[in-house]
Amino acid sequence: MASWDEVQEALADYTVSCNTNERLRKMQRDWSRMLHFICSDTGDLFSMDVKAGEIISTPSGHVGVPDVVVTTDSETFCDMFWGDINPMPRYLRGEIQVRGSQEDIMRIDAISYVIWPDA
Amino acid sequence: MSLDDSAARTPSGPTQHHPHELRRSVGAVTATATSAGLAFAAINFIGVVSVATFALGSSAWLAIAIGGLISLVVSGVFSELNSMWPTAAGVRLYISNAFGVRFALIATFTYMSTVILVIAADAFLIGAAIQHLLHEPSALAYVWILLLLLIATVLNLRGIKIAGRVQSVVTYVVLASTTGLSIVALFKPGLPYPHPFAVFGNGALSGFQAIAFALFLFAAFEWVTTTAEEARKPQVITRALFIAPLLIWFAATVFSLALTHLVTLDAAHASAYPQLLLGSAALGRFGEIWMLGVTVLTAINTFNGGFLVASRFVYAAAREGNLPRAFARLNLRAVPWLAVIVLAVTSAVVGALVFATGEWLLLVAVGASLEAMVFAIASAALLKLRRTDDRVRGFRLRGAPVVAGFGLVLFAILALASGLSDPKNPKAFSPLPALVVLTLAAVSTAYVYLVVPRLHRAAAARRLAARASGEQTRRRPPRP
Repeated sequence: MASWDEVQEALADYTVSCNTNERLRKMQRDWSRMLHFICSDTGDLFSMDVKAGEIISTPSGHVGVPDVVVTTDSETFCDMFWGDINPMPRYLRGEIQVRGSQEDIMRIDAISYVIWPDA
Repeated sequence: MSLDDSAARTPSGPTQHHPHELRRSVGAVTATATSAGLAFAAINFIGVVSVATFALGSSAWLAIAIGGLISLVVSGVFSELNSMWPTAAGVRLYISNAFGVRFALIATFTYMSTVILVIAADAFLIGAAIQHLLHEPSALAYVWILLLLLIATVLNLRGIKIAGRVQSVVTYVVLASTTGLSIVALFKPGLPYPHPFAVFGNGALSGFQAIAFALFLFAAFEWVTTTAEEARKPQVITRALFIAPLLIWFAATVFSLALTHLVTLDAAHASAYPQLLLGSAALGRFGEIWMLGVTVLTAINTFNGGFLVASRFVYAAAREGNLPRAFARLNLRAVPWLAVIVLAVTSAVVGALVFATGEWLLLVAVGASLEAMVFAIASAALLKLRRTDDRVRGFRLRGAPVVAGFGLVLFAILALASGLSDPKNPKAFSPLPALVVLTLAAVSTAYVYLVVPRLHRAAAARRLAARASGEQTRRRPPRP
């Protein structure tokens, strides 16, 4: 079980990795979404505001109305945000649950794929 | 902690309840349209002719009614499975939890081949219909096929997809137009309705084949489960699974009655565009153009839905390491471009084969057999999961052991019956459809047992090499 500080640290690194990746920014330029995250083991909640592919903020708690809701355990979130795992197999096994359109689900996976293609 | 019962806490301490309502979610009307739209393709018009060919006299309506009733078994089975795993990866999850990962991969790879068959069939049928209406040389039909596939490919590569609302309108227009023209046709003087109840009049095997083809008219309606993650409520998908077959049943029944009323079976059987023959017989040139419009509209749903479902499946399989990594490559619009292009090329090749051989009815037989096989596997999965998985279900199929057991046996019989049918002659026997299905299954099996392990070994070797060279280490800092 990861602590909230660990999740925040991973999230900060993820934000930098996303926002500084030019190819990703270009690919996601038409993608503006509010994402909600739920740590199923700790109950921690946080949000991610994405505007034109740029992560604007990642406040704790749930802010606004979500386009996508992602639920998994805190360890998986940390590993995903650090780029240490490929989220797709876990999603296909039902370990990461997502509510949202198929297109948005693919976009979230694509972020990991573009930044860490060998994860 | 489950999503529904969580009084979730924020890291800062205070607890709050959050309903997790999505900004854009799919309601029952859109989900029903998605389900019906995925099933009601141009190939359905040919499917109705196949039903009418195998059911004696004018009993096609009864075969379609039986097919509709059987499709409700499918609705029940998929509703319960979907309530256990409401995700786009559902079919994979149901089957892998019941029978293991390898079998699930084989089944889903084979299942996805129906998407290519339907795309190819629709491209061919629409191309043939346009060529007929414009009185062009028959060779030009293939040019239309290529043009349609090219348009669909370019739109997909550019990331342009039809909005859910537009798709819903298109589906309801297609169903209403088909029904409307058919009702007009029913008021015209025409052929009598002999033997209206003789589904098994051509023999038991032909009767089962007629029912298998009737079930094929509903094929793919269960794909609506892939939208479960965007459904407003879990019940939305269940409702769609039970309402969409009723809409398809009504449109297909009225169309079959009108077709057998105004068009001889021989003429319909020899044609790749029986709906245009009906339009012409009912309202002349205007009716022909009307039905061509309906046919072209069906392509919007087929190409949009088919390309999207199949290319994203290929992407996910490549990301998981079960297909070569190249299939996960994305263009600047976040579209898995190689997957889209390979799908289009494969569809064009299948379309060319159909065009060259004139065996479009074979596609109906193959599709019917494949779909019945998938329904049998889903029924078997439900039976197994009832014994082995006690997770909470939002929907429980009443009498599941009996209903799913009945479904398993019946769908296996229907898969066999359609697999052994000669699409051109209800009194003859042909193993060709079964051979095509077995070939697809054999290729999938060989791929999963021979190629997938190699891909996994190569991926593991790449990771090891990266670690050895210090290029890629675990990025997450170690805990103090």
